[in-house]
Amino acid sequence: MANIDELTAAQVAAGVAAGDFSAVEVAKASLDAISKRDGEVQAFLQVSADLALAAAEKTDQRRAAGEKLGPLAGVPVAFKDNMHLLGTRTTCASKMLANYESEFTATCVQRMLDAGATPMGKANMDEFAFGSSTESSAFHRTNNPWDTERVPGGSSGGSAAAVAAGEVTVALGSDTGGSIRQPASLCGVVGMKPTYGAVSRYGVVAFGSSLDQVGPFGRNVADVALAMNALTGAGRDPYDSTSQDCPVDFLEHLEDPVEGRRVGVVPQLMEAEGLTPEMRRAIEGACRMLTDQGAELVEVELPNIASAIAAYYVIAPCEAFSNLARFDGVRYGYQEPGCATLAEQSSLSRAHGFGEEAKRRQMLGAYLLSSGVYDKYYYPAQQVRTLITNDYKRAYEKCDVIVLPASPRTAFRFGEISDPTQMYASDLFTISNNIAGNDWASRVRAAPGTGLQGPEPAHLRPCRRARRRRHHARARLCREGG
Amino acid sequence: MFYRKHYFYPDMAKNFQTTQGPVAFCMYGHLDLEVAGEGAAERPDHVATGTDVVAAHDQAAPVVVDKAADGSYTVPIRILMEEDAAKMVHVGGEEGRIASATESLIDYNRCGTPLIELVTEPDLRTPEEARLFMEKLQQTFRTLGISDCSLEMGSMRCDGNVSLRRRGTTKLGTKTELKNINSFKSLHDGLEYEICRQAEVLEEGGVIYQETRHWEPSRKRTVVMRVKETADDYRLFPDPDLAPFDLTDEFIDEARARIPELPDAKRDRYVAELGLKRKDAVQIAGDPDVARIFEAAADGAGEKVVPTVANVVVNLLPGHDAVTPAQVRGLAGLLAEDAITFAQAREVLDAVNGTDEDPVRFVDERGWRQATSTDELAPIVDEVLGRCTAQVEQYKGGNKKVVGFLVGQCMKAAKASGAAGNPKLFNKMLTERLEG
Repeated sequence: MANIDELTAAQVAAGVAAGDFSAVEVAKASLDAISKRDGEVQAFLQVSADLALAAAEKTDQRRAAGEKLGPLAGVPVAFKDNMHLLGTRTTCASKMLANYESEFTATCVQRMLDAGATPMGKANMDEFAFGSSTESSAFHRTNNPWDTERVPGGSSGGSAAAVAAGEVTVALGSDTGGSIRQPASLCGVVGMKPTYGAVSRYGVVAFGSSLDQVGPFGRNVADVALAMNALTGAGRDPYDSTSQDCPVDFLEHLEDPVEGRRVGVVPQLMEAEGLTPEMRRAIEGACRMLTDQGAELVEVELPNIASAIAAYYVIAPCEAFSNLARFDGVRYGYQEPGCATLAEQSSLSRAHGFGEEAKRRQMLGAYLLSSGVYDKYYYPAQQVRTLITNDYKRAYEKCDVIVLPASPRTAFRFGEISDPTQMYASDLFTISNNIAGNDWASRVRAAPGTGLQGPEPAHLRPCRRARRRRHHARARLCREGG
Repeated sequence: MFYRKHYFYPDMAKNFQTTQGPVAFCMYGHLDLEVAGEGAAERPDHVATGTDVVAAHDQAAPVVVDKAADGSYTVPIRILMEEDAAKMVHVGGEEGRIASATESLIDYNRCGTPLIELVTEPDLRTPEEARLFMEKLQQTFRTLGISDCSLEMGSMRCDGNVSLRRRGTTKLGTKTELKNINSFKSLHDGLEYEICRQAEVLEEGGVIYQETRHWEPSRKRTVVMRVKETADDYRLFPDPDLAPFDLTDEFIDEARARIPELPDAKRDRYVAELGLKRKDAVQIAGDPDVARIFEAAADGAGEKVVPTVANVVVNLLPGHDAVTPAQVRGLAGLLAEDAITFAQAREVLDAVNGTDEDPVRFVDERGWRQATSTDELAPIVDEVLGRCTAQVEQYKGGNKKVVGFLVGQCMKAAKASGAAGNPKLFNKMLTERLEG
């Protein structure tokens, strides 16, 4: 077989189905790549070699028995370590859950396995997904495969890096404020945050329940589309009351032309403080390429977008405080030994189990939800949310897709951003879409001068309302992007 | 819409409870209650105006309470759905309290299971009304088939709140909450104690603190569990994991159509249509299992037999758990035509319980059926009256009790001659003759 990092997911599945190579061979190739490269990249927290080989063997047996194989047959996949997979620990990259064994398998993981994927292991992340650089992992940093002195982005940095380094073909991440799109951009791979509710969150450790969404990373658009079909094809998940049917074939319109499509640009955001000139040039280049192929550029306004980060950093910490309240050393997680009272045990377990950023966000949430404060922050934040959602609705009356940067800059050096508010500001372009529940595919192009990758994301309206032609546009856009 | 209520305590593994916020599944509901005595006497305002307005605890809108003509009151209620907490057992402490426990055991098995919480307005006036209210609630929920409502098993639990006000004033004082109520008797006794305790404190010029008190049944007293100096900050906010939803009109109509006949309607129907005594009707209608066997037994019984069926169900059936409706019906038929005595009926029931024996055949096979014709018995009465002249004189002298002796003689004579007797009929015939 060819090198594992030269095969797309579709090629792996086709090769396994045709018998050109076995799923076990692919799994071993992936394990080899991990053992060769992950010492340097450190994308994985846990490599599940036994699970991978067992799953691959089963795939090969099914083929031998003449059964029809799934669309991801034998495809090596990594899962962000906030997703439960029976037989692995689910640590959320936190000391709090360092020894937590998964008690069941998350719906998103199960659907990938049902499609025939081979589970290679659990990928590093910012602790409990709080961060944009994977630096807040309690265990180790993950290095950007393109330049190991730089961050891979976050919070799904391990997933993005594992795909970029060619260790796996596809990975799953989760995105609460940009945690799939930004690392995809910084690592030069394709990442997609689906519409809120399109992919089940059951079995994914919650950060901000009303914002979290699971999505795939791949080295090209078609692989991401293939994974999206696997994640949504079985319809809504009854175990997640916020999940919904997503009756879209993500592969159907990959080859459609972009001619005649209206591409929205947001001048106000292109002028935003912090957007580096190289990133701006990359976006402009992408737009030019689209117009060259007959797409029409349309200027759209998102008048309330400036409030998005403020609203997000009210809503997300409130939900995080609530979701993480369970980690108190009683039922789940790290338990401080030798405590005399319950109160002592709870507070010391939390003090020693959580990292700085996790504590900061929970304290913020606890304050914002307290009586008297709630009305001043949480409630207005939800009103801002409605305004932003309406902004997008109006913008999509004028265009089929919107092009935005996924990050204001390319991958930065470790320790370069130490002020948390500056780190929060890097979510400027992505965050409003979590607030509005939109979907977004992050696509890369070469950014001149850095040797790294710049983004060229195509950002789309929520798929439950999307008409077919919009998916034409998206599919074509993504494909043309690189 | 569901909300999250946060508090750090080991009985809730997530450290928040999923509950409902300002909008609950049932609002402005009510339960009709027949009240009498002291509590009713304390409601002269109702009698005068027919309605009373009680300010709701957590609702801006007032709740109107109607007083029905028959002396029953409607108690305003609100029902919300939430999840149960784990069961905690405190070991080594006094009366199972956490304060003095050496260790606490947590059983998470019921944690997270849904329950409904019902809150009444402060409208119940006496411990007895509170007890009646809980009984009525238990009967209603059992009839609905939504719970076995066992206080002992914890499938129904209750806290009692007490606040006093001086007669003639309208503002209720500070309330205290009673925990550890595990029977209706505990509820009654605990409230009674707490009312007296608060009254004493107030009469002595003291202050009632808002606190949770633990009822100790063995010592018949309440003791402080915890004092609420300020309202707890539960950081209530809409649960982002549970999508908001509407109960559609169709759903509500469909649910309403599935509500079975409730105890009050059942009771009224039994009295009006089946001619049952009200006391029997109340008792049968209150327990769905009893009502079921009554209705099955009454079905096919003659119009005149039905009240006797009720009599059997209420007075004989308890203690017999394997009697079929047909057996009840057969037995009621025998009693209704006076073919056996009540004492015999009990014996028959004991014998047929758990078998498929027909009570009528059982009685006939043993020759227990008593005479029902005066013609048959007249010669025996004649004979006894002729023989027992001394007793006849005593009767005529005013000692009416002596008729019992004469009935005994008649029964003995009947037995000696191999004929069936009938004490009730003998009594009637003897009295007629003696008075005549």
